[in-house]
Amino acid sequence: MKRTCRLRLLGWVSLLTVGFAASHRAAAQVIDSIPPWIAAQRTIAIDERLATDAGLRVGDRVVLSPEPGNAIGDTVRIGAIVKGRADPSEVARSEYRVRMHLDHLQRLLAYGDRVDRFAMATTGSSASDSVLHAVNAVAFGFRAYPSRDIAVGTSKTFLVVSRFHRAIGMITIVASATFLLCIMLLKVDERRRDVAAMRLMGISRATVVRTVMLESSFVALLGSVVGVGLGFVVSAFVNAHYQTVYRTPLRFAIITPGTVAYAVLLSLVLGIGAGALAARRLARTPPLTLFGR
Amino acid sequence: MRLHLAALSLKRHASRTLLAMLGVAVSAAMLLDMVMLATGMRESFASLLSSNGFTIRVSPRGTLPFDSEATIGQADAAALAMRAVPGVTDVAPVLGTTIHVLGRPEPVTAFALGIDPAVQGDYQLLEGRDPTAADAVVASDALLRAAAARIGDTLDIAVGFDPQLRTYSGRRRLVVSGRARFTYLSADDRAAALSLGTVQAMGGGDRADRVSLFMVRTAPNVDPELARAAIERAVPRVTALSTAGAIAEAEKRLSYFRQLAFILGAVSLVVGFLLVTTIVTVSVNERIGEIAIMRAIGVSRAHVVQQIVIEGIALSLAGAAAGLVLGVFTAHYLNSILRGFPGLPDAIDFFLLQPPSALRALGLLVASGIAAGIYPSWRAASLPISTTLREEAVG
Repeated sequence: MKRTCRLRLLGWVSLLTVGFAASHRAAAQVIDSIPPWIAAQRTIAIDERLATDAGLRVGDRVVLSPEPGNAIGDTVRIGAIVKGRADPSEVARSEYRVRMHLDHLQRLLAYGDRVDRFAMATTGSSASDSVLHAVNAVAFGFRAYPSRDIAVGTSKTFLVVSRFHRAIGMITIVASATFLLCIMLLKVDERRRDVAAMRLMGISRATVVRTVMLESSFVALLGSVVGVGLGFVVSAFVNAHYQTVYRTPLRFAIITPGTVAYAVLLSLVLGIGAGALAARRLARTPPLTLFGR
Repeated sequence: MRLHLAALSLKRHASRTLLAMLGVAVSAAMLLDMVMLATGMRESFASLLSSNGFTIRVSPRGTLPFDSEATIGQADAAALAMRAVPGVTDVAPVLGTTIHVLGRPEPVTAFALGIDPAVQGDYQLLEGRDPTAADAVVASDALLRAAAARIGDTLDIAVGFDPQLRTYSGRRRLVVSGRARFTYLSADDRAAALSLGTVQAMGGGDRADRVSLFMVRTAPNVDPELARAAIERAVPRVTALSTAGAIAEAEKRLSYFRQLAFILGAVSLVVGFLLVTTIVTVSVNERIGEIAIMRAIGVSRAHVVQQIVIEGIALSLAGAAAGLVLGVFTAHYLNSILRGFPGLPDAIDFFLLQPPSALRALGLLVASGIAAGIYPSWRAASLPISTTLREEAVG
């Protein structure tokens, strides 16, 4: 059974999307020449979120109208359901995407033979520069931008989020470093009787310090390994959670070798440092004092 | 007596106490920041939306205000229908568009709002007059700077640009009648406000009798939700959003920050709890012999427990107090980072210190400090006195 529903369409959003497709076809078709009976058979692609929420499937018919609440529109068939890209700029926006043929959208919006922009593929960065120069020098009324400039212009939001994450990360590191330092000092301090016994048995201060440091290094290393494992589990949970919440394949937490190395190094430095500090203090204290005598 | 003994015990290991206090302070600061982040956005956004008294925003059906370029047609009829809704006191139409200020070495592009000066809620006039005349325009400081203009100057303004022919359409010569701060825009945004009729006329047939949104005021004794539903019934081609609905929509979009605040806040609380627990446990383990002696000379179990719990409370309280100061500073720093979001209205703050929420959060941390001391102290005070004395104090 075929279902029919009315699909609200934000023309400007879709036009941007279709503009890309049209640039690959390198043609702006004469829409007036398309017979109405063919136009009625036209297909669109919708994103999977829309398909899920509206209960649509490939082959279903929907009515597209350029304005909300407009009763007049084009009846089209859903030709494909596409998966959303891992695009950070779309994460917080809950818009649905519909992909149409350029001429179809132009006709629907009475937009004429116009597009918002063209995307151009080149053979390499040097070709990009020369194409950019040529377009800006020759094409009257056009302005070409390299994709990297557009990326810089549109990524300001993510730069802010990135700076925020770094600041939060620094605070977290300070908090965890203090915690780690505290625990390691206490851990070594707990060994005061053992240290006293070792000193009374004639074991040198240097050996005592080295033993305690070795022990604290081992504890720090073991803690780091457990921490890295925990980090992987938590990042998997974070990704699964936010991918479900925002319905995107985007990965929110990524553990890189650099992150692991940084975390392990920090915990080792803090662990060994705290161990050395406490061990030296214990080794300098007379054994009988350590025994509480 | 108990306080004195607890203070002596903390002083005995001054460096350890200091480090523990620092740890609790950092945890408290983090907790406070996350509470400020979780509540700040909501309160700040709510305050922004309700600052001008409008309780309902009306946009083209299926859209949020200024979330797309869609407009509401037959705006006059829609406004009339909304005014007829019981409880509605004011309806302010707004039409957004892009304008180009010409006659400069490079045209200056700005965002313009067509408004009804009698009921507008989009800007606060800083100097001059509202754009009541058809040829008047009120501009933001950023626009005045970019256009090198002052109040009284005449600007050549266009709304349309054809890149092929490099021609501007909808041109008018408008006089700058005032300088304004735009409520929903950042101070860096170039913005202007004109009378609605002027913007519609400059936009030609495409803009005639159209608006981007309506802002609606309701009577104080009217539930905005009921008025909102009535508006949607009266004008089915629009979506009406109450302030509460708008806040909910904003929260949905910014849920990432709220969840981050919740997770990091919970982690801070756990870290603070663990830190105090560890310190108190180690401290108690070291003093088992001392506690046994106290018990042997007749000091009550409750007294011992209270003394150790006081130590935990003192650590938590001192850490929380230091954390409050640290948290306010870090929140200020983090807020300055997030305020870098492009186009963020000046009135929006991500971190907002609200004394009741801050006190609740720090109170929770202190309570966790109390809880952290109870178990180890009770365990130590419950040990058999003679055996403990033999093992710890004598042996």
